[in-house]
Amino acid sequence: MPTKSTTAFRLISGISAATLATSVAMPALSQEDWPSDPVSIIVSFPPGGASDLVARLLAAELGEALDAQFVVENRPGAGGTVAATALMEAAPDGHTLMLSNLTPFDVAPTLFPDTPYDPIEDFTHVSYIGGVYLGLFAAPSLEVETFEGLMELVRANPGSVDYGTSGVGSWGHIVSETFKSLTGTDMVHIPYQGSGPMRQDLRADVVDLTFDAVPQNLPLVEEGVAVPLVVMAPERLETLPDTPTMVEAGHDLVAENWLGISAPAGLDPAIAETLDETLADVMAEPEVSAQFDEWGIVRREMTGEEFSAYVAEQFDVWAERIAASGAQ
Amino acid sequence: MGLIENLLIGFETAASAQNLAYCFVGVFLGTFIGVLPGVGPLAAVAMLLPVSFYLPPETALVMLAGVYYGAEYGGSIAAILLNIPGTPSASVSCIDGYPMARAGRAGVALTLTAVASLFGGLFGVVVIVALAPRLAEFALLFGPWEYFAVMVLGLIAASIVSSSGALRGVMMVCLGILLGTVGLDITSGVVRYSGGTQELRDGVGLVVVAMGVFGIAEVMASARTNRPSYAGENVGLRKLLPGRADWGRFTGPAVRGSLVGSFVGTLPGTGQTVASFLGYALEKRVSRRPEDFGTGVVEGLVVPESANNAAAQTAFIPTLTLGIPGSTTMALMLGALMVHGIDPGPRMLSQHPELFWGLVVSFVFGNLFLLILNIPLIGLWVRVLRVPHHFLYPAVVLLICVGVYSIANSMFDVWLALAFGFLGYILRLWRYEPAPMLIGFVLGPMMEEYFRRAMLLSRGDATSFLERPGSATLLVAALALLLWSAVPRGTWSRLLTRGFAPKR
Repeated sequence: MPTKSTTAFRLISGISAATLATSVAMPALSQEDWPSDPVSIIVSFPPGGASDLVARLLAAELGEALDAQFVVENRPGAGGTVAATALMEAAPDGHTLMLSNLTPFDVAPTLFPDTPYDPIEDFTHVSYIGGVYLGLFAAPSLEVETFEGLMELVRANPGSVDYGTSGVGSWGHIVSETFKSLTGTDMVHIPYQGSGPMRQDLRADVVDLTFDAVPQNLPLVEEGVAVPLVVMAPERLETLPDTPTMVEAGHDLVAENWLGISAPAGLDPAIAETLDETLADVMAEPEVSAQFDEWGIVRREMTGEEFSAYVAEQFDVWAERIAASGAQ
Repeated sequence: MGLIENLLIGFETAASAQNLAYCFVGVFLGTFIGVLPGVGPLAAVAMLLPVSFYLPPETALVMLAGVYYGAEYGGSIAAILLNIPGTPSASVSCIDGYPMARAGRAGVALTLTAVASLFGGLFGVVVIVALAPRLAEFALLFGPWEYFAVMVLGLIAASIVSSSGALRGVMMVCLGILLGTVGLDITSGVVRYSGGTQELRDGVGLVVVAMGVFGIAEVMASARTNRPSYAGENVGLRKLLPGRADWGRFTGPAVRGSLVGSFVGTLPGTGQTVASFLGYALEKRVSRRPEDFGTGVVEGLVVPESANNAAAQTAFIPTLTLGIPGSTTMALMLGALMVHGIDPGPRMLSQHPELFWGLVVSFVFGNLFLLILNIPLIGLWVRVLRVPHHFLYPAVVLLICVGVYSIANSMFDVWLALAFGFLGYILRLWRYEPAPMLIGFVLGPMMEEYFRRAMLLSRGDATSFLERPGSATLLVAALALLLWSAVPRGTWSRLLTRGFAPKR
């Protein structure tokens, strides 16, 4: 596979160059100088996860396209708010960016009222990258093949079926509460610490259902240890073409964990434009786009302004869900 | 496919010149990184991850895995020589390893450590080879009920670890459990004891606590006592070799430690720290001289070393066969595979046999490399003791700070580690041992999580713990251990040999 090894090579060359660089912060004079110094991309997760891999790939590709060093900086903790706080406090000179996602911007500020930033006012949301959708998966032992089958079972036996989410206040948990109130069902919530242990329990038939991101469950579906019942996407997913959406089932429930690039408030619009255009070029490269497909990240076109508006709109959507769920 | 065939495939992969070379690079780097206090395998694997993208997947995995288990060898070196564990799991090796070094037997202790590590590592490999396909299913038999029972067993064992009396041990375990409650409660989502800070919302990190109460506290204590260095100690070859009496005490503890380590390693999330503590505690119970533990007995060093290295190998089973990483370091290794488009999981054994078996066979090479690498280096390590403390200890503090910072790029963690250093120093002045605290800190929150999850799943019915055969067996074992340690020594054997006849 020549394409893959090229990607890998770019990844290594970009990252190793970046590792050698020291980050000396100097204010950028104008957008023509940008990037004049190494650019760090803050990731709100520890190394090794899906987001971290996305950031490392983009860092290598952006670094090559802009002839600069892009460094990934992992700042995990407190639902991503540690990372977002660090981004807010950084200088808006284009040398500190963040691989932004749903939780720190559209969920945590409502969930934790003491979050020290405003998710819209304190940031420049530069580019939308893509997103993953939430799905509902059943253990085969539950002997339910479809969404309707589940509804029948749950309505006949209220409180007997349990479901896992990746934690209290996680997007899966919030959506599960909305799901229960929309469908008028009663199921028992089992919170986990992250989705890894939850998938282990689904595999081991300990828990009946999981609300979990779709891509990580595809291997389990293929193996026959997880049955996809419904996805919370606007339309059917290419990776699960036979699984209906909640919209089809008559409920307006879409849950996307979006990924984007954000910067501190007050970023020079010219820098934002350069960054957005470069990112679009990078994402259009066949090997990069193939890698995103493999990771199950669904992409669509969005301008910088549309992305900014999307973050704000989603904030309201999730605030309403959180208020109704009682997770606050 | 037969076992022999699998092993041949593995041998073919692992014995290629490239893979052998990267295996050596991995274990070599791992040893050195393990020696440095605070800088653990996580930092090393994270740094090497980008390099691994450039390598074929099996070579990448062989190298990263080498760093991982190589660090277990190195971690105990600083524990023995300086009473500062290089990795949290080496904390147990301080208990008997450091007294050995103080008695002038540093070389012997390091040799025994290297051999015990090799023994444990190879034992873990044998367990993988014999049971790998079925061990994955075994891990799936463990629901929250069984995990809870293992944690109970571990906590009871932990309070026995203390050599300064059971009461002090239990107190320290409880303090550890309390520290473990800091942060977001998994079941209710309530933030506990964070003082309203964002940094404490996820609780306190294991490395932060371990490096504080063991590392920083040791530096502070040595500054106060200004103890003489070991200058002038003869480090000739004869001093390195354990005597016949030492070897006589080697085999039994090594086998028991390896058994405990292999078992604990297969449970995702428990890892080497639990393995070494549990092994030590159990050994202390079966020993004929438990009162000598903590004074520098061979068993007290051999058991945790064989246990943590066995666990380091078997920890790959859940990671590769279930795709569930037991630790952040393991998650990084999964990341290395995912970049190459390989999904770890039950199908990996059939789809990529050369990868799985190649890795397993590379463990054998890696462990042998480690022994070859470590024995000649022992003389060098012992010389570290001759470095004047006013040079050595500032360097140690610096390394700890760098290591703690690198975990989450957080300055707050560095200050926290220093605060734990003060706590550890005060505890030491009052003769409270930090080891049981560390195990309470690790196991307490896990025990709570599994207990509450089990109760949720069984809708509040506590008898479910006794209805499931796995958890019932483990809980009975825990009760037996508790009774065994509560009743004075000799009572049981007296009862067995003489019945209830009154003493003459």
